[in-house]
Amino acid sequence: MKNLAYLSLLLLFFTGCSDLEEVPEGQLAPDGFFQSPQDVQTVINGAIGSMATEAYWGRKLSLPIMLRSDMVSIGDQGTPGRRQDVNNFTMADDNGMVTALWPRAYLVIGATNEAILAAEGLDFPAEQVNPIKAQAHFFRAYTYYHLVRLFGDIPYLDRPVDNIAEARTISKTSAVDVYQNIISDLLEAKSNLPDVQPTRALPSKATAAAFLASVYLTIGDFSNAYAEAKFVIDNEGTFELELTPDFQDLFNADVQGSLKEPLLNLDFNGFSDGNTGRDYTPALTGIRANEKGNIGGGWSVAVPTIEVYNTWDGRDYRKAVSLDTTGIFDGIVEPFSKFPDFDSRNIQSAYIAKYTRFPGQTSAGNGRGSSLNYALMRYAEVLLIAAEALNETSPGSAEAAGYVNRVRARARNGGAFPEDVVAGLSQDEFRDLIIEERKWELAFEFKRWYDIKRRQLGNEVFGPTGLEPQPNFDPARDYLFPLPNDELERNPNLLPNNSGY
Amino acid sequence: MIKNKFKPVRICITLFLLFFGLILHAQQKTITGKITTKDDGFGLPGVNVVLKGTTIGVSSDFDGNYSIQVEGDNPILVFSYIGFKTQEINVGSNTIINVQLEDDAANLDEVVVIGYGTTKKSDITGSVSSVKSEELSAFPVLSTEQALQGRAAGVAVQSNNGGEPGAPINIRIRGNTSIGASSAALVVVDGFIGGSIPQPNDVASIEVLKDASATAIYGSRGANGVILVTTKKGTKGKMQIELNSSYAIQNITETLDLLNANQFANYRQQINPAYTQGPVDTDWQDLIYRTGSVSNHQLSFSGGSDKINYYVSGNYFKQDGIVINSDFERFSFLGNIDIQATDRLKLGFNSFANRGNKNGVQSQASSGGSGGGDVISTAYRFAPDQPIQDANGVNTTNPVGDEFDNPVAIARESVDDTTTDDYRANFYADYELIDGLSFKTTFGFSTVNRTRGRFLPSTLIGQASGQGGIASIESLKGTDILSENYLTYNKDFDKHSLTALLGYSYQKTRRERYSAESQNFISNSVSYFNLAAGSNVQTPVSNLTESEIVSQFARVNYEYDDRYLLTLTARRDGASNFAKNNKYAFFPSGAIGWNISNEEFLSESNTISNLKLRASYGVTGNPSINPYQSLASLDAIYAAVGDQTVNAVVPQQLANPDLKWESSYQTNIGVDFGFFDNRLTTTLDYYNIDTKDLILGDSGAPEYIGFSRLESLRNVGEINNKGFEITISSLNVANDNFTWSTDLNWATNKVEVVKLINGEDIFLDSAPGSFLQDQTHILREGEAVGVFWGYEYQGVYQGGAVPAGQGTYEGAEAGDELFTDLDGDGIITGDDRKIIGDPNQDWTFGLNNTFTYKNFDLNIFFQGAIGGDIFSYTFLELASGESNATTEVLNAWTPANTNTNVPSAKVREKRINSRFVYDGSYVRLKNLALGYNLPTDVIGKFGLQGLRVSLSGQNLLTFTDFPGTDPEASYQSQGNQNNNVNLGFDYGSYPNIRSYTLSLNLKF
Repeated sequence: MKNLAYLSLLLLFFTGCSDLEEVPEGQLAPDGFFQSPQDVQTVINGAIGSMATEAYWGRKLSLPIMLRSDMVSIGDQGTPGRRQDVNNFTMADDNGMVTALWPRAYLVIGATNEAILAAEGLDFPAEQVNPIKAQAHFFRAYTYYHLVRLFGDIPYLDRPVDNIAEARTISKTSAVDVYQNIISDLLEAKSNLPDVQPTRALPSKATAAAFLASVYLTIGDFSNAYAEAKFVIDNEGTFELELTPDFQDLFNADVQGSLKEPLLNLDFNGFSDGNTGRDYTPALTGIRANEKGNIGGGWSVAVPTIEVYNTWDGRDYRKAVSLDTTGIFDGIVEPFSKFPDFDSRNIQSAYIAKYTRFPGQTSAGNGRGSSLNYALMRYAEVLLIAAEALNETSPGSAEAAGYVNRVRARARNGGAFPEDVVAGLSQDEFRDLIIEERKWELAFEFKRWYDIKRRQLGNEVFGPTGLEPQPNFDPARDYLFPLPNDELERNPNLLPNNSGY
Repeated sequence: MIKNKFKPVRICITLFLLFFGLILHAQQKTITGKITTKDDGFGLPGVNVVLKGTTIGVSSDFDGNYSIQVEGDNPILVFSYIGFKTQEINVGSNTIINVQLEDDAANLDEVVVIGYGTTKKSDITGSVSSVKSEELSAFPVLSTEQALQGRAAGVAVQSNNGGEPGAPINIRIRGNTSIGASSAALVVVDGFIGGSIPQPNDVASIEVLKDASATAIYGSRGANGVILVTTKKGTKGKMQIELNSSYAIQNITETLDLLNANQFANYRQQINPAYTQGPVDTDWQDLIYRTGSVSNHQLSFSGGSDKINYYVSGNYFKQDGIVINSDFERFSFLGNIDIQATDRLKLGFNSFANRGNKNGVQSQASSGGSGGGDVISTAYRFAPDQPIQDANGVNTTNPVGDEFDNPVAIARESVDDTTTDDYRANFYADYELIDGLSFKTTFGFSTVNRTRGRFLPSTLIGQASGQGGIASIESLKGTDILSENYLTYNKDFDKHSLTALLGYSYQKTRRERYSAESQNFISNSVSYFNLAAGSNVQTPVSNLTESEIVSQFARVNYEYDDRYLLTLTARRDGASNFAKNNKYAFFPSGAIGWNISNEEFLSESNTISNLKLRASYGVTGNPSINPYQSLASLDAIYAAVGDQTVNAVVPQQLANPDLKWESSYQTNIGVDFGFFDNRLTTTLDYYNIDTKDLILGDSGAPEYIGFSRLESLRNVGEINNKGFEITISSLNVANDNFTWSTDLNWATNKVEVVKLINGEDIFLDSAPGSFLQDQTHILREGEAVGVFWGYEYQGVYQGGAVPAGQGTYEGAEAGDELFTDLDGDGIITGDDRKIIGDPNQDWTFGLNNTFTYKNFDLNIFFQGAIGGDIFSYTFLELASGESNATTEVLNAWTPANTNTNVPSAKVREKRINSRFVYDGSYVRLKNLALGYNLPTDVIGKFGLQGLRVSLSGQNLLTFTDFPGTDPEASYQSQGNQNNNVNLGFDYGSYPNIRSYTLSLNLKF
């Protein structure tokens, strides 16, 4: 039986050799990750990186808000139905772009919530922690600002989810409350962000103020909108802001990084990891089979209606920068009337040029994976916000006209058009002038749909005489997107969906 | 350059065969004869014939014929076969000795392999199916897994990708007992848990353990059933050499009816009047398919002496796929040595080596759309009016919708090579401590090394042109160490018989993975072997996972008087991948059996030769948690700030320290019948399996929780499987020249979701990424698993008022789709979706008939499944208006053609709807084989013991209403979190194939 004794020993030896604890080498765990403000910055970088991706600013958010407006329509009639449905006001609550941008927006918010909580737990001097924490407040506000405008009432989370069972039963927060939360986040950001950041990809005090102005304008609080815009304008030197002299430079990937006009950039740099870091806008807006730029042409998906070209004054330098009226085919420059001859997916219209003319290094064909920086807020818009808000509180002021004239002066590019604003406009006339000025100045910069919604212009711009007649447009329904149907099924407390869906 | 890697080796093998062909024979006196059973007189294959006092031995062929050389004075031949009395016959001056073997009633039993041991078939209390070597090699198959199809009741075998060379194969036993975890059966090869299965000709038997009594010994890994593979071993006697060779040609069975160039142009012009027709008329399916071939050669040597037995074999397999530029090549070697070192000590060594080289083309794209590099689905979608290359020699891309390359360019120019090396070595020592008590220890090691290299040259405009070519290389190294130690005690006293087992097992698994990718190459000639030649280097990836499992197990088998049987089994598993608060799990089971035919009142029966009742109950588990999946984590992502790439992370998932393994509670009740001396045998089994604590990646967590991995694992509920299995074997006719036997197995399984958290539905998604459909199937209490979820198609909207109960989308025009309007608001929204199909099959069967007439034999094997629905993403995509279409659109709605069920030509969202749900029932003539054994006296002159030729056809006939290419469709079932519930989907699958095979079997 001696053998048995040995065997028992052997069994014991094997039994004692593992405690079964998992030690995951190479995996990042949140426990113990946040040791310094720099670690908080790493999560904020994650929030930024989660926006610069196909599922968000690369396509799934940027394309719908472009198509939804009256200035951009569908080029290729064979493009997937989800895009046509957004454009034609026939979208349903299972639209593939909405279901993609939604989780991505909340991932950005989840990262900012994680950053704020982590910053609060750091044992570091406030002056080191707060400016970084303020970035998280800013990006959270920025993301909710998109969501509240797109969807209205939404789930609002301001701390990381640690219990899924609880999180899945929450109700929607009203749009009014969401706006208040956005404002308090931006105020927090404004008080702690530095005047100037090393890069315009990070928000400064001026960025927070400019977005406050934009938010106030959206909710009709004109005096605060004016005050915040004025704060930026009065301190433009401190904030190192100016209007870039040549309008074209704003859309040139090679020089964008050094410009003083953007208050916030979303950067693409021509590299990507799969769809992360990948921009599709140049491909979506480009002309099929166009040999210009040697990127294999674009996909002719998001194309302005011909009325955009027809109604835009030809003397406006911004028109030349914003639109391409020719392409190169078989080595020959051809006008847009010939575009469909070279690829039946093209249409006879001027194409968006802001993202296809100087996209910089691209990581993939057709302009995919550009090096463009997208200015989410630029100084010209701050000036126009100040003018619009001031017109609402004290109409007829020379100050308001002055702000518009600064924008127009740059737009002239040494020429004579557009002229300065004439004196003596009524409040209504000035209001229309501003919205028109925003239309051309910020054309295709993902602002127009929000302006149409903010000013309830749908019946007019989608009517028979609008830029893009859309008989399906229904003001009772179409100012809001539907919440994704599958999300309502996961949490029925979010019901009902927005009216009409 | 990669294709001919094996050529030198192939030549070597040929030489090797020639060499052995020359040394076969030595001239002695040859005895031939036929061995038959005394009872019914038909030939008995596999009988051992040994020249007494020597190691010279042969075994009888399929018909019972044998041929043996004898020498010496007064030679005596010994004929032995399990279940029959051994006979010794003096040769004398005879050269022909025919032998009749008599049943050995006491030894009637087959020996059946069970976990950690063997047992007599009559002693089994659980549900175990045995598949023997002859069945596995009855007709040529690509793999042993395939040979199992239709052979055992309740065992479903399905390729993950139709007839793709080298495609992985799923084996499921008794339905899906899980939803989120793998439902694949645990494979144990010669005792090695998780080993890869050798070629069919190397397999002696496969036992399928189905109920909890049989599988509980594998504890937390037993819930899906267990496949025990036993490889061939040498037997005492003269060396046996066996050569198996086969060559097959293969063809596609089905293609789709798609538009030709004229029809296509007409169709596109309805969508975009500006469309101009291309210059040619191309049938892309015709261009990508070809006649494929399979050659398979196996050579084995086996034999042994009193002390040592050996079996070694080598196999070479080569398949040229039916899609151009797809092939698969495999080398494998198996060696088994068993040594009786002393009276009490047995040692053994088992080794297996395999190299597979797959030169693939992509099919079953996970995304589709513009990223489509999938040869099959692009052949369907691509415009038929385009040539392969334009006038400038540039590959064409699709001229409508998303841009993607043509299938011929993809198949020809994209490179996708996978090389897999698989080694396993397993050593054992078995020492008899005292009489009846033995200790066995095994130590095994296995490693899998897989390298996958891919290259897309810049000439593929859609996929790689903008990037200047894309190359990547990916490597996986997996190792497993397994140590098992157990005591077995055997004791018979009076009428009692006891077998007890007590053991300990430790297994460690490690997986390392890394990959690198580079783009923008100087030249297209470097393929993936010079990543530095690309100027755009992508983020490299590496990761490591490790897991350990520590187990104790025990089993007691008790038998009284060959009548009453009791089995008790238990295993306790501790696993590192289990969550923090649930590291250990205990799995008990018990079973009883009653051999009624051994009772006195039946012992005299002439009709009933066997009758046994069995009942078992037990718990088994499904670990289903990959390493680290219960831990909180952050996800490192790519990000640029100020145009500089920076470190960035986002929250990935929450920790779930309470995550539990899945447990299956299984009841099994069975009856075994044998009639007329077991000429007719029947086995009936009923089972009921409750699987609790189901683990699923999609816990129904809303997406606003803000994590990058939304499907982190949760225990979500409970499902039930119940079913009935029948196996009937019958020897219908048996006389001297003619026999006819029939084997039928039939199984039905009903699966139901019993409980989900708060009774809430769980929505799942298996659609190709480009479809952007988030919900394609559903789990709902009271319903089957994985039922399709979508809109119910009602036909075409004719304009004006919408018919009552139906609805259209907002802004619909005449010619659009009409769906059932469930909520009655006149508008179709997500709320109007319902269950539109059930992919679970009602029943499955295999029917095998074998006829022999003299030296001829004929095998006819039907296999089928009735009642499962298929959802075809292929047809949905082809109807979406973005690409080419099936000829169905020729009947599309137009103002002039309103009496139709096909919507107008238009681009539409690819919504999941009942229009694309099809009945997937099928019956297939899997095999028809005619064999001929050359007469022993003829081949004996050439020193051969057996020579068999056979001609067979596989998949010759399929009866089905499914309009796609293969009703055995399977999409997104591999490498997917929810692979168990992704049933019945079809998208761009490599088609099923028909083959004609000529086989040769030689025995020396």
